[in-house]
Amino acid sequence: MRILLLLLLLAVAPLLLPLLAAAEPATLIRATELKKEPATDAATLARLPENAAVETLERRGGWMRVKSGGDEGWVRMLALRFGVPGAVKQGDTGISQLFNVARTGTSGAQVTTGARGLDAEQLANAQPNPAELAKMAGFAADADAAASFAAKGKLSATAVDYPK
Amino acid sequence: MRNLAFVLVFVFSTPVYAQFRLPSLDINKLVDTVKSVGKAVQEIPEPEEIEIGQDVASRLLGAAPLVPNPGLQRYVNHVGRWLAAQTERPDLPWRFGVLDAPQLNAFAVPGGTIFITRGLLERMKSEAELAGVLAHEIVHVLKKHHLKAIQKGAQTALAGDALGAALKDRGGAARDKLIAFGTEMYSRGLDKSDELEADRVGVVIAARGGYDAYGLPSVLQTLQAMNAQDSGLALMFKTHPAPAERLGALDRMQATLDAYAAQPQLVERFAASVRK
Repeated sequence: MRILLLLLLLAVAPLLLPLLAAAEPATLIRATELKKEPATDAATLARLPENAAVETLERRGGWMRVKSGGDEGWVRMLALRFGVPGAVKQGDTGISQLFNVARTGTSGAQVTTGARGLDAEQLANAQPNPAELAKMAGFAADADAAASFAAKGKLSATAVDYPK
Repeated sequence: MRNLAFVLVFVFSTPVYAQFRLPSLDINKLVDTVKSVGKAVQEIPEPEEIEIGQDVASRLLGAAPLVPNPGLQRYVNHVGRWLAAQTERPDLPWRFGVLDAPQLNAFAVPGGTIFITRGLLERMKSEAELAGVLAHEIVHVLKKHHLKAIQKGAQTALAGDALGAALKDRGGAARDKLIAFGTEMYSRGLDKSDELEADRVGVVIAARGGYDAYGLPSVLQTLQAMNAQDSGLALMFKTHPAPAERLGALDRMQATLDAYAAQPQLVERFAASVRK
């Protein structure tokens, strides 16, 4: 009985996951039609003005499902910019870096993420690392391996012209 | 004496190469420079392009090593090599590496070496997004954006004959300085027009590889959503146009983007390969 319940839980878990995904706030950079389906020729549910605030739910191709007021529908992904004007965006603020330095009394190399790796200073002082270069060569894929990898992912090469 | 002159030239050249002044009036050197003007504009041949690239790649690996995960490294090589096969330079020694750095960035090195940082990879949601970024970097190699910038900078700062010497003498002082200059370029960045071209052409290459063409715009939207003051973004934002501007510039690719929007994103394969 308990096993049955567990199996049931496992079965419905993936269905619940999308609900757990947080809706991210975004703003429209131009007046945009809210579509019933992710397609240009779908019915228009509402006309949203420039700078309208929406909540993004999921992306499908070039379309994003959004909530705006009481309406829910699809808008062009390229018409959206994430975040709301004036609000603090995700990620560290840069100020936390200063706090870290103050706290440790050093450059903060142990606690901050920005103090090592690929900053301008590290690039300027970088010394050759031939051992790592050789290791990298060992991971290279040849054309045949890449083609069978693509086939496994159901990727097929398509002729597309370069932009003019 | 000539070697000494080279060394002097290098010592006095600053990263801002426009500020370079001739350290002294050396008649021999001036004559050499004038003689080399004709050949200075010629393109760096492919074998030298690859050799310089290997040296620059070695330096970048000195700044940050590879993520110690062979499965991940091979995965990224498969995606990248498949994309490179869709281009006009399929036979370069293409190599792709994930650098163990928390910053969000990606680098294209002349001759076919592409790096992406762990920090950027961790923000991605699908193989189509990875393909979009790798395709952007591949375009820099196809169009020789960095190679041309190195060549231009070297000519301005070092004079044409020094570039010739640097090309000939691997391991020499001139060559060392050229490689250091080439490595530092990644903290100065390319022309904005090179970056926007890499975005447009990169979208096409990802579509040719059979991926959802919206992978790159999707990554740009992730970056745009992040705080511009985030320390992990400092270098990328300094060396690239703002994500919002890049997204705006991709508006003109809307037809191509939409035509190939339904191709696979490969969310699961990406998750399985990256989060191990």
